[in-house]
Amino acid sequence: MTPPIRGTGTAVILLLLAALAGCAPFSLVTPERRTVGGAISVEPGMRWNRMEMAPYQGRVEVWTLDGPLLNSLVFFTGVPDGEPLFVSRALASDPKQEKPPVFRSAMNPLEIEELFTATIARNFRTAIVSATNLRPAEVAGTPGFRFETRFVGRDEVERAGVFVGTVRGGKLYGAWFQGARLHYYERYVPEVEKMAASARLVGEAASAR
Amino acid sequence: MTFSRRRFGCALCAMGWLALAGETSAQNLQGAEPGRYLAPGYQPAEGDEKGLWALMDRHERELKGSRFVVRDPAANAYLREVLCRLAERYCADVRVYVVRTPLFNASMAPNGMMEVWTGLLLRCRDEAQLATIIGHELGHYLRRHTLERWRDVRAKADFGIFLGMGLALAGAGWAGSLAQFALLASAFAFSRDQEREADEIGLNLMADAGYAPAATAEVWEQLLAEYQGSSAARDQSFLFATHPLPEERLDTLRKSAVARGGDGERGRARYRERLAALRPTLVADEIGLRQYGRSLIVFEKLLADAPDDGGLWFAKGEVLRLRGDAGDVELALAAYAQAVATGGAPPETWRSIGLVELKAGARDRAEKAFDAYLEAKPGAADREMLKALLSQ
Ligand SMILES: [Zn+2]
Repeated sequence: MTPPIRGTGTAVILLLLAALAGCAPFSLVTPERRTVGGAISVEPGMRWNRMEMAPYQGRVEVWTLDGPLLNSLVFFTGVPDGEPLFVSRALASDPKQEKPPVFRSAMNPLEIEELFTATIARNFRTAIVSATNLRPAEVAGTPGFRFETRFVGRDEVERAGVFVGTVRGGKLYGAWFQGARLHYYERYVPEVEKMAASARLVGEAASAR
Repeated sequence: MTFSRRRFGCALCAMGWLALAGETSAQNLQGAEPGRYLAPGYQPAEGDEKGLWALMDRHERELKGSRFVVRDPAANAYLREVLCRLAERYCADVRVYVVRTPLFNASMAPNGMMEVWTGLLLRCRDEAQLATIIGHELGHYLRRHTLERWRDVRAKADFGIFLGMGLALAGAGWAGSLAQFALLASAFAFSRDQEREADEIGLNLMADAGYAPAATAEVWEQLLAEYQGSSAARDQSFLFATHPLPEERLDTLRKSAVARGGDGERGRARYRERLAALRPTLVADEIGLRQYGRSLIVFEKLLADAPDDGGLWFAKGEVLRLRGDAGDVELALAAYAQAVATGGAPPETWRSIGLVELKAGARDRAEKAFDAYLEAKPGAADREMLKALLSQ
């Protein structure tokens, strides 16, 4: 594995900043039911780490098991109409960037899949990204969809992932787990599937249609 | 263009292009005074130049294994052919790598490692335009611009700042060889004079090889036109407001080409044909950028040359569908219809027609389009999803 370049540098700097500011970059997530972003209730079966300063801006919360460079679980806790899925902090203030593609309430799963790959392409600065096997699925007790993801970032590491999502009340709820394909993804698929099965929408999301 | 590795953005390279126009005089390689250009087969014997080459050799070994290097044999053979036509005597000294990054850029390292990005291959309209760029990069190599720049930076007082940056990065645990390389690359950004000189050499090389000199200005014209379709704050304000007078520079380039004179070969059909296997990837990567305004300008230009290309009509439709502004749906459907009319539409054209029709509430037409898609692509993985969409 070649040393990661841009993403790593940014992550390291963010972590250093967080440490300097006196707050821990991660907080422990114990294996018991909890609510994420006031919208999704899940029951992890392992000890996860929640990133206090997520590398992405948006309606997201980021967890990791082995560190964000090896794997991460991104929760989408109600992306509203007109907002991007997420924008990496490194790109957010870059004036050279085109406006990011945004979520629309009227999007169907095919369009959300397209939005997702475009979001990855932009934030990880890669053209090597694909989504496959899009299919209907029950997500958090509601009709939703899922698909598998692949991408190679600038660090040349191939990452595999799975995305599950559902649109309620015009907002997108879901999660994306991704990790370095050879070990840090496959190993945790059972845990992620169990967590996905435990997921329930709460609050505003639960009552919306 | 600027010397940069693949993570440097297109704005940088555009800056290179902005900086490059200048005086051009007819002066070919053979007629130059001895020692002006690197000798064919040159290898540095000692000193800082040898160190620089060793660093680049190491970087090149990493690049060779990169997943972003395009392996398509036809495309690689083709670029090599153009390179050798431009500078036969240096053919063995220069390696061209096609790098899968959908931005307009090319770069030249002092050891003969040239990178050409896929976004550049999509945007060139003929072989003469490609020859302009390869010729320009060769100019940097032949005149040892990186070495010159390196010595220049070292001699300046700000070299201490440069070293300090390196130490700061090392302290942040971010000192992999590629990271160091990035730092060096920023110090090696070619000067305006160097860009001007490379431009002059590029024009002479391509014209001497029998290409149409007018192509040099066109590459530049196209890029400027494209920036006007950008939604990026910097492209709209900084580039055009504070960077001086691109029109004047374009004018200089045009004049230089006219001064060089004569007609020449365009190689349009050959360019399209030799890159045909790679083009669907180039097009898909461009669509993935979601830079709708710019992409439309690019695809319109390409369609003007190849109105019978179903893949390009589909691409135009996709950009419009994804943008989804008022009126875009109708325009997208019109583009898809054009794609179908060429007889060479990709199967996904019908899928997209179905998506648009479904949005418009035309369920029957959507179903017909999805059926056509699934018939053209029986193994489609999204069959079940399309059925589910229709039943909602
Ligand atoms: Zn240059």
